Amino acid sequence: MKFIISLAFKNLTRYKRRTLITAGAIAVGIMMFIMIDSMLAGAEFESVRNLKWYETASVRIYNDGYWENRHQLPLDINVPDAEGITAKLEDAGYTASPRTVFSGDMILNADDFGEDGNIPVTVTAIDPQLDFDIFHFGDTLAAGRFLERGEEAALLGSWLAEDIGAKVGYWITIITRGNGGFYESMDLEVVGIVNCPNPNVNRGLVMMPFDTAGDYLAMDGAATEINIKLSDSADVEAAASDIQKLFNGSGLTALDWKYMAADYLALAEAKRGGTGIILFLIFIIAAVGISNTMLMAIFERIRELGMMRSLGMSDGKIRAAFVVEAAGIGLIGSFIGVILGILVNLFVVNIGFDVGFILRDMDIGYRIQSVMRGVWNVDTIGLAFIAGTVISTIVAFFPTGKALKMDIPACLRHQ
Amino acid sequence: MIKIDNVVKNYANGETEVKALRGVSLNIDRGEFTSIAGPSGSGKTTLLNLIGCIDKLDQGEITIKSETVSSMNKNEKTKFRRKNLGFVFQTYNLIPVLSAYENVAFVLSLLDLSEDEVRERTMTILKEVGLAGMENRKPSKLSGGQQQRVAIARALVKNPEIVLADEPTANLDSGTGEEILKLMREMNEKHGTTFIFSTHDPMVMDYAGRVVMLHDGQIKSDERK
Repeated sequence: MKFIISLAFKNLTRYKRRTLITAGAIAVGIMMFIMIDSMLAGAEFESVRNLKWYETASVRIYNDGYWENRHQLPLDINVPDAEGITAKLEDAGYTASPRTVFSGDMILNADDFGEDGNIPVTVTAIDPQLDFDIFHFGDTLAAGRFLERGEEAALLGSWLAEDIGAKVGYWITIITRGNGGFYESMDLEVVGIVNCPNPNVNRGLVMMPFDTAGDYLAMDGAATEINIKLSDSADVEAAASDIQKLFNGSGLTALDWKYMAADYLALAEAKRGGTGIILFLIFIIAAVGISNTMLMAIFERIRELGMMRSLGMSDGKIRAAFVVEAAGIGLIGSFIGVILGILVNLFVVNIGFDVGFILRDMDIGYRIQSVMRGVWNVDTIGLAFIAGTVISTIVAFFPTGKALKMDIPACLRHQ
Repeated sequence: MIKIDNVVKNYANGETEVKALRGVSLNIDRGEFTSIAGPSGSGKTTLLNLIGCIDKLDQGEITIKSETVSSMNKNEKTKFRRKNLGFVFQTYNLIPVLSAYENVAFVLSLLDLSEDEVRERTMTILKEVGLAGMENRKPSKLSGGQQQRVAIARALVKNPEIVLADEPTANLDSGTGEEILKLMREMNEKHGTTFIFSTHDPMVMDYAGRVVMLHDGQIKSDERK
């Protein structure tokens, strides 16, 4: 075996350029694998975080009938006595905050916006003193100030503000229907603009104080939802179940973020599957490259093969010599690929790629606003190294088998 | 030691069948220095290949050391060659990435020998064939004659009972070819190894102790000197 390994590694130097080109193809494949996996894992990590931080919280309490009618944003299917529910949750050790979400038309007046207009919006009424304990809007202020309880004011997402040309100090009018179906209009001053990392939120965010909205909409202390924050490491399904027990029989349902974001998670799963195919193709290209290299190497050495077989070297040992040689190319390629992958990943993790120009006008499912950053995944790097070497080794089997089928005199006559 | 009995070998060449050997019978004794001679296409290489167990015959039987090699399967033939046969090729067929030493030691790596024994036997045979001090040279740094000496050393290092050489001097100038023949004869006398080599060169035939002349796949003459 020592001779076989020695011969295989010496053969690697026989055609240095070809060895390097093949190893290079494997290295590029592995580098791409590490980079793409890092970016996708980073995008998923950031998306889940931004989803919980700016959209769903960890667990949410709804009225039993709300979830199936959620797209209509009904105000009458609500959580009554939001203050009492929040207090009960706090007593149980949870941090909670009520919200009322409703739809309406936002009227833009020519006085501020240059011309009259209106757009449909979803308004989220928050309690300014509680909401920032649950959601992470605290560090997203781009202009103006945050809301205060009781005021007739609004916060806008920066992309929405940019789209409609809104600035701090402008006035908007929201026309909606209150709890019970009556028409209501609210004049709100834009007091702040937030630049939120979650593009879905940033694209359409209109916030106003919870108590002000409650008065206008005749909510009578009710909210459409109560949001609850848990630690990142908490088991949300178990927590939702525990919270549910607090309100059994009261017509309320506790849902965890995974249930609420099932659409996103299914999309992410599908993306992972699609990406897996891309990664598989990258490895196929590398495998075809090394298979071709080994095929050339074997057919250039047919006479040598004939000589070795004449002298009594078994087919198994000859195959082993070529397989070890291919493993050597795979090893070199994998090593270079991992080094390149780590270097590229340093950039991807620390600086990232600015894809804001794509995400500004297009929703690709990920909750990332601009910079797509990667994460370190030692398992992936290890897997890439092993896969590069193992695949190279496996693909050398087939061309060697073809050469070994030739009879020895034909090998010796081969030119 | 070698008994060839009524051997027939045909090749398919496109749609026509080439009769390479037509009922060849021959006995070769231990230690003989035999030349299989004849013009191109006479069946010399085919006969050597069959004796060397690297080709299959169509009819007849070949027995070497009382073993019927013609009825052995592939693995048995491989083991038989590994233990009993040495080969010298017209184009040397050395492995270019290995040194002279490694090219010779390679054959011993196929046997179950200790590293010390491999080293001792390899260095001894290289010295015997006149390559002392050149053991670390790659084939590209050796002349044609020196490369064929390495090939002879490779064939002899495992102490085979039979060495088969297919036109061993065909790629060498006459002076170098003669040196190689002298070396082969010397090894034949020193080790008692049976040498069988093919040639169509009269000068080479002169060195042989026995010349078996083939013509159109049949033995035309068989002369011992």
